[in-house]
Amino acid sequence: MPDLFATYLVSVLNGVAIGVLLFMMAVGLSLIFGLMDVLNLAHGAVFLIGSYVAFDVAGSGDGGFLLAVAAALAVGLLVGGGLAVCLRPLRRRGHLDQVLLTLGIAFVLLNTSAMVWGDDFRSVPAPTALQGSGALLGQSYPVYRLAVIVIGFVVAALVYAVFERSRLGAILRAMVDDRDMVDALGVDTRALTGGVLAAGSGLAAVGGVIGAPILSIRPGLEWEVLILALIVVVIGGLGSVKGAFVGALLIGQVQSLGVALLPEFAAFALFGAMAVVLLVRPDGLFGQVATG
Amino acid sequence: MDDQTLAIGRRQFLAGVGKAGVLMAFPGFLSACGGGAEDEPATADTAGATDPGDPVDETQPPSPTAEPTPSPVAAADPLRVGLLIPLSGNLAAIGPELQTGLEIYLEQHGGALGGRPVELLVEDSEGVPEAGVRKAQRMLREGNVEVVTGILSSPVALGVRDLFHESRVPLIISNAAANAITREALSPYIFRSAFSNYQPSWAMGRWLGENVSDAQVFLTAADYAAGTEMLEGFRTGYEEAGGSIVGEILPPLQTTDYQPFLAGIADSGANAVFAFFPGGDAVTFVQQYAEFGLKDAMPLYGPLGLTDPEQILAAQGPAALGIRTASTYSSELDNDLNAEFVEAFVARSDGVLPSPFALQSHNAAQLLDVALGKLDGDTSDVEAVVDALENVGTFETPAGAFEMDPATHNPVRPFYLLEATQAGEGSVHEVVEDLGPVADPG
Repeated sequence: MPDLFATYLVSVLNGVAIGVLLFMMAVGLSLIFGLMDVLNLAHGAVFLIGSYVAFDVAGSGDGGFLLAVAAALAVGLLVGGGLAVCLRPLRRRGHLDQVLLTLGIAFVLLNTSAMVWGDDFRSVPAPTALQGSGALLGQSYPVYRLAVIVIGFVVAALVYAVFERSRLGAILRAMVDDRDMVDALGVDTRALTGGVLAAGSGLAAVGGVIGAPILSIRPGLEWEVLILALIVVVIGGLGSVKGAFVGALLIGQVQSLGVALLPEFAAFALFGAMAVVLLVRPDGLFGQVATG
Repeated sequence: MDDQTLAIGRRQFLAGVGKAGVLMAFPGFLSACGGGAEDEPATADTAGATDPGDPVDETQPPSPTAEPTPSPVAAADPLRVGLLIPLSGNLAAIGPELQTGLEIYLEQHGGALGGRPVELLVEDSEGVPEAGVRKAQRMLREGNVEVVTGILSSPVALGVRDLFHESRVPLIISNAAANAITREALSPYIFRSAFSNYQPSWAMGRWLGENVSDAQVFLTAADYAAGTEMLEGFRTGYEEAGGSIVGEILPPLQTTDYQPFLAGIADSGANAVFAFFPGGDAVTFVQQYAEFGLKDAMPLYGPLGLTDPEQILAAQGPAALGIRTASTYSSELDNDLNAEFVEAFVARSDGVLPSPFALQSHNAAQLLDVALGKLDGDTSDVEAVVDALENVGTFETPAGAFEMDPATHNPVRPFYLLEATQAGEGSVHEVVEDLGPVADPG
């Protein structure tokens, strides 16, 4: 019987890998929600398109994976920018109209991707240098997931530095608190909002590439990922990078360690965790309304 | 609220796609639905009949242009066959295989079943019961179909059960495998040309119990009806053969990360694993099973579906190599009928090999052809049709001898032990052993 402690430690590590992947998906969703009060339902579709780009580009040799990241980032920025342009005329309309627009765009993106890449199941191999498994505490663990953890922390640190430590970040945080006031100070909030939408979508598309070797790509994946990201956003609190990070790591642990400890509650654990957080802190762990 | 918006939006979307799918898949159908006399010749053209009249109304005298035959329905009257398959939704990738399998049989047999030229009406079930029932109703009421086949998923099959039972129109289910379809929910008018979940799992269990002497098997399947039925079938066959089971775990459907479950399996002390996951879950599970190093320590076994259809096997890549499944069919079966079938399929699929889905739909057409042939194509008496289907006898298919069990309306057919092996750049289901005919106990 292998050491149970080691088994759970590996599950914890795995939860971190899943968590950072979720962070890449959730942070854009959270910031857009915080800045515009719009739940961007097209976010999952952008993730899926990133995965398909990985399928097309990453297969072609060693440099392919980096190329796929760059290509997906470009596609994500483009889609996010387009989304910002489409949302602009609805600025004064109700939230429902804006959410419906993002849903419509999600369907357009998904049908387009179905036409380009078909309905088939796809999988993407990890970059050759990161293939295979290593022994970790006596357990076999895929090298690629370790790399995902490193990449995820680097991305999180970058996003944190921009959002919490730069002048741009200060303006963005002020916009989350009171957008009209920032507008009145002469800042072009429309351009900034568009930029965040583009950057968030770019990050989601890159998340699609990074996640592709772990998940199997198929139509339907976009909603699964979107719902996970929504849970992260709800738990972490809207418009908070810190919240998205902590929320993502928490959900990663619930999905990994929680399931390893109590496999029979796997289907329930995720929403159970969300319910508990909402009962204790209705605005999420780092929600602006409760703490601001 | 946001989840709500999402759910509603998606349903509406799927409904919209469904309509679009039908329009694209069968442009003539909407006009045929109108039932107007001027529409009829358009659909009848392909069948070669000039005046189809009303093919099911036996009270009318034979039309004057028809050949004099002993049956009240002229042999040249087209047989209206409905095909209910998912063309949109999550199962859209697999649905068209059922159509291809059926069309290949028709092509091989002059476009006729039981001597009558076939008019095929294709409807999109969207893979969900609500849409499936709606489309089936439309086929029966407006499409005037005399027999329906297809149906990929069990919820749709169970959903349309009462409709076919009450309207007394024969339905040949060509994939949906829930045991209940040919057990508790059995109807005199419903047959199955595929298999019940019990059959492949039981066959796999018996083989493991008899051939791997010190096997300690761990069971895992997606936590839904088919998953638990597969495990139950395996358990029965395996324990009858004296095997012992060391544990069981049921991950939810659409699990994206199996690591925590795999950790439990790795710690269980098992030396073999029997698993069943559908569709995309099968890709994720099989890949992660290999990634976390379990494949070498614990060989993976399953019923068909774990590595089917061929698109799934391709997506699983090297991770699938060595996995053994008990299946109704492999493209690698060595017989003349299968050679013809594979050749016809590959010509229509850009080189993708046929899976059990396509073959079982081919079986459905063959079952109808043989049974209706005994009646000279006369479908006017539905009880006679049911009787002919029940007592159809044994016939040879690309997957071996097929026999209908009159008690269960489920086929008695051989199952094959297959192994995913490397072939060129991809992989195929190599035939390891014929496991012999298996019946569902009912």
